[in-house]
Amino acid sequence: MRPPRALSLSVKLPLTLTAVVAGVAFAIGLAVVVQERERIRHDLQDRALLVAKSIAANVSESILRNDYWSAYKALALVAERDPGAERTRVVTGAVLDPQGRVLAHLDPGENPLGQALATEGPFERRRVGELLARPQASVFWDEAAADAYVEGAVPVRSADSVIGYVLLRLSTEEIAARTRAAAMTVLGIALVLGVVGSALGAWISRRMVQPLRALAGGMESVGRGEFSRLPSATARDRDEIGVLVDSFNRMAAELAEKRVLEQELRTNERLAALGRVAAGVAHEVNNPLAGLLASLDNMRRQPDDPAVQARYLPVLERGLNRIRAVVQALLAELGADAPALSDSGCLNDLRELMIAEIGDRPIDLLWDVKLADVGTCAICRRVQHAVLNLLRNAVQAIPEAGTVRFRAAHEDGRLVFEIEDDGVGIAEPDLERLFDPFYTTRPAGTGLGLWITYRVVVGMKGEIEVKSEPGRGSRFSIRLPMAAPVAGPLMGAAE
Amino acid sequence: MSGRLSRREAIALLAATAAMGGAPALAVPRRVDREVRFGLTAVVVRENIRFFDRWRAYLESRIGRGLRFVQRRSYREIMELLETGDLDFAWICGYPYVQARGRDILELVAVPVFEGAPLYRSYIIVADDSGHGSLAELRGGVFAFSDPDSNSGYLVPRAMLARMGENPEDFFRVTFFTYNHAETVQAVAARVADGGAVDSYVWEYLARKNPGLAGRTRVIGRSGLYGFPPVVARRSVGGGLFRAMRGALLAMKNDPEGQVLLNDLALDGFGVHDPAIFDGIRDLTGVLARAKG
Repeated sequence: MRPPRALSLSVKLPLTLTAVVAGVAFAIGLAVVVQERERIRHDLQDRALLVAKSIAANVSESILRNDYWSAYKALALVAERDPGAERTRVVTGAVLDPQGRVLAHLDPGENPLGQALATEGPFERRRVGELLARPQASVFWDEAAADAYVEGAVPVRSADSVIGYVLLRLSTEEIAARTRAAAMTVLGIALVLGVVGSALGAWISRRMVQPLRALAGGMESVGRGEFSRLPSATARDRDEIGVLVDSFNRMAAELAEKRVLEQELRTNERLAALGRVAAGVAHEVNNPLAGLLASLDNMRRQPDDPAVQARYLPVLERGLNRIRAVVQALLAELGADAPALSDSGCLNDLRELMIAEIGDRPIDLLWDVKLADVGTCAICRRVQHAVLNLLRNAVQAIPEAGTVRFRAAHEDGRLVFEIEDDGVGIAEPDLERLFDPFYTTRPAGTGLGLWITYRVVVGMKGEIEVKSEPGRGSRFSIRLPMAAPVAGPLMGAAE
Repeated sequence: MSGRLSRREAIALLAATAAMGGAPALAVPRRVDREVRFGLTAVVVRENIRFFDRWRAYLESRIGRGLRFVQRRSYREIMELLETGDLDFAWICGYPYVQARGRDILELVAVPVFEGAPLYRSYIIVADDSGHGSLAELRGGVFAFSDPDSNSGYLVPRAMLARMGENPEDFFRVTFFTYNHAETVQAVAARVADGGAVDSYVWEYLARKNPGLAGRTRVIGRSGLYGFPPVVARRSVGGGLFRAMRGALLAMKNDPEGQVLLNDLALDGFGVHDPAIFDGIRDLTGVLARAKG
């Protein structure tokens, strides 16, 4: 199998376009040059005949009068060249009498008057012989000769008789020169077309490839499961690519929506599970309540009957014990059973609790409370619970030795608590689900501590923020409105 | 581009036609005090138009009349114009002058003085690198005469041949006339002709003014001296005009402007000489007549 070539479309497209444009220009140019060369040849041939004819018309009188000097002058005038101005060179020219003798020749030294043409070979002799035998205008090419020429031969007539011939040979060197000039022009046009074509190709391919590249990036994001940061591809035209971009954008939007719905669904499921827990708890608590209330009622009606007292008190005790057992089981489940906090809920009680919890482990507890006289004890129990949960988590996040900092202060009219540790930190995926109920990374955890904390803070219209770096520790910040700490019932089991 | 050469050639050929096909004389209405017509022949090199403009202006100012130089290809045409009265003066060869017809209708105005005397020769010339050393060696070759009515360009070489017992038709393979001494030099230089006969004055003039052309020819024969081609007037020209023209010509060597013109002509001046200086030419016609007879 051939490995796929890694050339980008933005390179391939303009290259292809350039190649096609250059190819077409070259093919057309070649045809034009070939045609032009043919035209130049015809042109030269026509000129040789025309000039020979005009000489013939002029020398007719001279031949009749034996005025060889005039005949020579007529030939010489034609052969005269403006220096540099003309490209058509007269190779040679001659006026012959009907017997083929020279009446005038452009090379008089080699071709004396009154003698046969000093021809160079048998081929030319035959040519002259044919001409004399058949007196009519004719053209003859000799491109093999050292000085390649085209010869126009025209009989000179007076009345009806042929009195001589004019031979005129024009050099064919201008054919090559003019063909070369035409080829250069065509080449120039092909080059310009090639440049324009590649510029056009680059432009078109940029228009085409840009949305495609955005689409490819988007596809990769979707592959990684990232919907939030999808590059929005924009289509310039309502062409196939435009349709593709639109479809992709629609698909990406739908995927993102689906993910939101899934998250909501998961949240609802958790809430439903919580509901079931609550319902179970209520049921367990409710069961003994009817018997207890009935016992209490009987004892009130017969307050002085020792038998009643003796009979119902154990019932009451059993019922309450049962309820306590249920609540304790739940508290144990929720991990919120241990500390008994005073009603005043002083923050310093929390400190004592934490010191007790740390025990002799090498953990420093830095306590920084600046709440003035609003009362460090004025914090309601729910908030104390929330802070306690975070402090416990902080201590537990430290594997051996470390530091836990606690800070409480008023800032910008809000109550701020910060709990910071230098423990193991929280991994990125865990951060997202940190406040979900029943989500825990500790084997013994209930998954309810942070959830309860979150509910407390949110229930008070506060904010909770986590910053954590795995291996370097975490910092939780709670910000509560000043009026909040005493308000609002908490939906949950922590109170 | 394609039509350029042929167009140029067409023009060139037209010019050639006009130059060689003796165009008829323009019919000029006669009127009192019309401009003086002065005919020029091949005895002088006529190609220098600007010189003849200056000479015309000079002569006009001296004779007090308008003057026009008239050129024709052959002596014969100039002679005819003199006969018909279309020309008043002409600078012609001594040969037509000595012919009976010329004597009757023409009057000698002045004879140019060339190299100190009113005399000149005929030169037999060949191409510079030609092997021919004398007229006799040109047997069977191509020979260029200047004009059938020219002394130096036709009469003298014919007489030379006659003394050798030859005539041009048999002696040479081909002969032709150039109707112009200067063109005879060209024909020999270009080797269209193996040899030619020219006016010594014209050849010397060319040797001085156009050495590139004259240098390509070599003089292999010199004839004896003959009367220099004279300026003549038709007999019917009035005595006043005749005297004015003769005076103007004779005075040229005496004033600076005339001297410049004479220098351009390579002449010493004009003089009045005995018509007997042309007797030599008349003798030649006798030689030829005897040769023919």
